[in-house]
Amino acid sequence: MIQKNSISGIYIGLLGLVTLACGLADIFVWAGINAGFQVGILEIAGDDFFRWAWGGFIMVCAGLFMLAGSRKALSLQQFAKVTLGTVLVWLIAGTDIFARLCESIPAGEEAPEFFNSLSGFIGGFAPPYSPAIILLPFTLVILYLLYTQAYDTD
Amino acid sequence: MVAVGGAEQMVLSSDAVLSSDARWEMVDRLTRQTVTYGTYKRTLGDVLGELTVKPLTGIPVAVAALFAFWSIFCSFAGALVTDGFMVKLFDAHWLPWLQSLWPDPASWHYFVFVGDPLADNCFEAFGVLTSGLFVSIGVVLPAILIFYLMMTVLEDSGYLPRLAVLVDSVLHRVGLHGYAIVPAILGLGCNVPAVTATRILETRKQRFIMMSLLAIFIPCGAQLGVMLEVIPDMVGMVFLCLIVGFCLFGYILNKVIPGENPEILVDVPPYHWPVKENVAKKLCNRTKGFLKEAVPFVLFGVLVVNLLYLGGVIQALAAFFEPLFVTWFGVPKETVGPLIAAFLRKDLAIAQLSVIPMTAYQMFASVVLISIYFPCVATFVVMLREGWKELIAALAVLFVVVFAYGGLIHAIGILLGVA
Repeated sequence: MIQKNSISGIYIGLLGLVTLACGLADIFVWAGINAGFQVGILEIAGDDFFRWAWGGFIMVCAGLFMLAGSRKALSLQQFAKVTLGTVLVWLIAGTDIFARLCESIPAGEEAPEFFNSLSGFIGGFAPPYSPAIILLPFTLVILYLLYTQAYDTD
Repeated sequence: MVAVGGAEQMVLSSDAVLSSDARWEMVDRLTRQTVTYGTYKRTLGDVLGELTVKPLTGIPVAVAALFAFWSIFCSFAGALVTDGFMVKLFDAHWLPWLQSLWPDPASWHYFVFVGDPLADNCFEAFGVLTSGLFVSIGVVLPAILIFYLMMTVLEDSGYLPRLAVLVDSVLHRVGLHGYAIVPAILGLGCNVPAVTATRILETRKQRFIMMSLLAIFIPCGAQLGVMLEVIPDMVGMVFLCLIVGFCLFGYILNKVIPGENPEILVDVPPYHWPVKENVAKKLCNRTKGFLKEAVPFVLFGVLVVNLLYLGGVIQALAAFFEPLFVTWFGVPKETVGPLIAAFLRKDLAIAQLSVIPMTAYQMFASVVLISIYFPCVATFVVMLREGWKELIAALAVLFVVVFAYGGLIHAIGILLGVA
């Protein structure tokens, strides 16, 4: 159990660090310290206070929650903090995906038809992605731990 | 008398008299048969529940919930329904069809029902069947629908009582308690049910403060929807201004108004998945209520505003109030008409502002003024139902706040060199 705890703790700690870094990057790009940047499939546009400053703050909190819960990560109290941090990442990623979905369904202002074509709809989900969406698959481990109830109960 | 207790039932005749000891003995016997004692094991849900009411972890969660709320609201109501479908439906199909069909563009009935014959979009036409229908069905309805859906999910999942606990100490500083968050959030959908929801507050003082703050500082879903269309970049600033005003004037009202502000005990239920049927039922009832109470007011509001414009009443009032609005609030004279018409529909008044040329700061000041200005007719009627004395007092507060806060915003603009 101790070994399982430490492996999970290391993974959660790393995930927390990356999440914290992503949140800080969101805020810094929005603040103009760096112009919006794109690396591979990752993009931080930083053009909107609501998404990048407010959303970045939430990512920072998510990272801090995960880091705070990474020591003895599988105890009930600590795992709850990790879960809370993960839920915050899911919230940001979920709203990003929902925004893409809502923008992909209609055909666009200039087009005469109402609905987008299938290729246009699928194209709406093409990269680049925000950091929260990229972090989404890495949080599946937490979902697995939740599902298998790998944490201790009091 | 019938006593039911797990395995056995005891039926006593109506004339049997039990002594106090016998009654307690019976209670003990029933308890032994029905109650199981053991050690309660805390679950992950319990710990998560505790974390969401502790300020250190609860405030970031509340900030995240608000983020998700607003993001989903903008994506669904703004990008998907209104911009994606309704604008095209109304501007490319409904408006040209109505303009070609309605006879005599120079007539009064054309002005009232279709509006400006040269308008190429429903926002700028200002007719009952163009702007009236577009605002109520194309802009406000999707906004209200998604707002109430999210509100119901928050309520039924058990998060809203936790939010009430979290904001309790803050709201006590403005003379309210944590559960005032319910009318405050409801007011962001429609002020009409929100005024009714102030009844959950204990004292007259609390109800009065909440009603006044609702009417002044909480913009409804209709306003939010239109703001999102007209001034998407400024919504954050307008909100910040309204939140500051809410706290500032709430604090003052709490100091000035006599009365009690008692503590409350809140029953915080465990987190659970909302039941689909309950969510659907609540959503259906709330949306129906909105359609019945608010949509007729939108259409009627446009009709009355257009008739007042036709009769020259708005122009006369605008000429009378122009020096005050221009010098005290620092807004262009063309905004006086929409500001006066805002009594009938605030959302339409914001739409009218969108076609007036002005600086960004003037637009910001005008939108804040419309938000804090007189409550719309529907809210006015519901406030009257709550008591005419409260209504008059709330209106007196409102006039003081509009002049003080409107003047303050203008003064800040002058100091910053942007007004």
